[in-house]
Amino acid sequence: MAHSDIGSQLVNICSMLLLVTTFAIVSQRRLSACVDLFALQSVFLAVTAALVAFLTGIHHIYVAALLTIVIKAIIIPLILKRVIERLNVTRELVLNINIPASLLICGGLVILALSVTQPIKELGFLLTKDSLAISLAIILIGFFTMISRRKAVTQVVGFLVVENGIFLGATAAAYGMPLIVELGVFFDVLVAALIIGIFTHRLQDTFDSVDVSKLTGMKE
Amino acid sequence: MIPIIILLISPLVAGFLSLRLRSPRILHAINLTTMLLLGGAQSIITTRLLHEGPFLLFNDFIAVDALTCFILIIVSGVGFTSSLYSWSYFDQHLAEGNITPKRLSRYFFLFHMFMFTMILAILANNLGILWVAIEGTTLATTFLINFFRRKSSLEAGWKYLILCSVGIALALFGTVLMFLSSVRALGDVGAALNISELIRIAGQLDPHVVKLAFLFILIGYGTKIGWFPMHTWVPDAYSEAPAPVSAMLAGVLETVAFYAVLRCKTVVDAVVPSGYAGHLLIVFGFLSFGVAAVFILVQRDFKRLLAYSSIEHMGIAAIGFGVGGFVGCFGALFHLLNHAIAKSLAFFSAGNIHLLFGSREIDKVQGMARTQPVTALAFLTAGLALVGMPPLALFVSEFSVVSALASQVYKSDTLRLGRFLTVMVSDDIRNLVLVILFLLISVVVFGGFMFRVTGMIWRDPPQKAVRAEKSSLSHVPLILSIVAIGVMGMWIPGSLKELITQAVAILNGVHHG
Repeated sequence: MAHSDIGSQLVNICSMLLLVTTFAIVSQRRLSACVDLFALQSVFLAVTAALVAFLTGIHHIYVAALLTIVIKAIIIPLILKRVIERLNVTRELVLNINIPASLLICGGLVILALSVTQPIKELGFLLTKDSLAISLAIILIGFFTMISRRKAVTQVVGFLVVENGIFLGATAAAYGMPLIVELGVFFDVLVAALIIGIFTHRLQDTFDSVDVSKLTGMKE
Repeated sequence: MIPIIILLISPLVAGFLSLRLRSPRILHAINLTTMLLLGGAQSIITTRLLHEGPFLLFNDFIAVDALTCFILIIVSGVGFTSSLYSWSYFDQHLAEGNITPKRLSRYFFLFHMFMFTMILAILANNLGILWVAIEGTTLATTFLINFFRRKSSLEAGWKYLILCSVGIALALFGTVLMFLSSVRALGDVGAALNISELIRIAGQLDPHVVKLAFLFILIGYGTKIGWFPMHTWVPDAYSEAPAPVSAMLAGVLETVAFYAVLRCKTVVDAVVPSGYAGHLLIVFGFLSFGVAAVFILVQRDFKRLLAYSSIEHMGIAAIGFGVGGFVGCFGALFHLLNHAIAKSLAFFSAGNIHLLFGSREIDKVQGMARTQPVTALAFLTAGLALVGMPPLALFVSEFSVVSALASQVYKSDTLRLGRFLTVMVSDDIRNLVLVILFLLISVVVFGGFMFRVTGMIWRDPPQKAVRAEKSSLSHVPLILSIVAIGVMGMWIPGSLKELITQAVAILNGVHHG
């Protein structure tokens, strides 16, 4: 697994770009902008994967990069945009936590991710030093987005960001999972996005809202 | 090899065939045929396994050992009774106009996809495929939970989808970490997630990474199992889903998710022999067991009551596996089987009660013994079994778990409380505390559960006479399950015992072949 220093630097830069787009998603109120940013993030992810494929010479990662572009940067954003159009909601009006505070919390999550992965980093078998920390940070911020937002669509974006983070971990930190596993994961993510799309429609029809805080019928 | 192909292909074929068909009778017939095929294929595989030992197939893609076969028996068995039950259940819903034949064909498509993903999860030798299949079960069952499209079932479905997807995403991260540690040792990307390979090279895996990975995997699949505190979707989903689906979710899906944890645990135990994984399981087990007992006390809805009882039983099984050893693992495995049968029986009878009384509230259901004797008998048997009354099978398995708990041996007799305080505790005292805790919680469950169940069965039937029950096809699965749960309390078939013994050996890290 020979790879140049410049190569791993490039992978690091790309991973950082993913993290930056994650922060941008947290700071956005407009739903369609969130989806656009997610698409952009997926493009960065694909570039990272292609870089890793080039550096390590493992060719099947190119397939994963291509699938990322097709599914996560084109198909899923299209589905989500159609959902948004139909729902007629463009902005997240009520936030559980306001944006400056959210950004601060996300900064804290990045530090947490860096410290949690420190012992693994010292083992020194990662492709690049910081990619595992970055991927964990993206996963945590994705979860945070799901908790802090109320609209079903932003929760979906949060979930997809988590998936992107995991995928970054698999490609940039390790060397890409076996192809069949990656295909399966892509298939699952695509179906999940479709199902969530259908579900949001039904939520809108039944509750007349996609505000998940209205889903409180069942409690102990 | 052919039985394996039948196991994987027949639900797929049946699923896509169901999408094209509209006649309820043919749909049910196809469903039952598939279940019989699955049962046949499973018994051929089990017989072969008992004679020839474990084997790998399709380029190590599929692994069959005793644990695989044991879980397959649960899946195909409860799958069969659920299919049998769903015939009369959906006929009644069709007759009342609650659903259309088109919805029924969709139901069977999803049901077969559900079966397929579970079977794939059980057979897969690859942690990645295992993950893909378990996530597949979430996707297949979301619309099954939301089947009646009520406002509340929509809420239950959404909760289920989001919570389980997030949980399972954590499991994927855990799988990635596992991959990270193995690909370095193995250098071969293709085989790096194969469970058989992982155990073989366990000595070269990094314990820190594997520990972290197992934590993520445990929380991820634990969401699917329904352990506290990730259990919040369980009562909503089980109470909103149609009865056969509730039975499958509670009896089978939990077992399959548990199987995923067990597979990972065998790897972790090989890497970290100090019982790290077992201790985590004991903690989750006691938490779920205790918390569920409290919720059982306050339930007013009988389907939710059964859902909390599922959380409780998954806790008991976790304790059994966590303690380990022959008795602990044997008890816990046997408990998974018994719980699957008893819980599906409970949900079948709960489905009948719901149809007859039109309500899920415990207070509205009274005097079943007079109006619906068979359902009452089934519900009572299930209730007695679920609180662990002898001579029913769950008594045997719960008793094994308790006795394993009572005879634990610890490495050191000091217990560190915080940073500075260390106390000396002998093994006996520790075990005594744990056993007393276990029994206390059991008493709470017993009281809460039997109080509700007996109230529903005896007392006087409500004033306005409820429809008396006619004997129908829906009684066949009830009687089958009652017999199974009763017989296994006193006598375990020889081949089943042999199978469980071999599965226990796998869990305790003894490998042959």
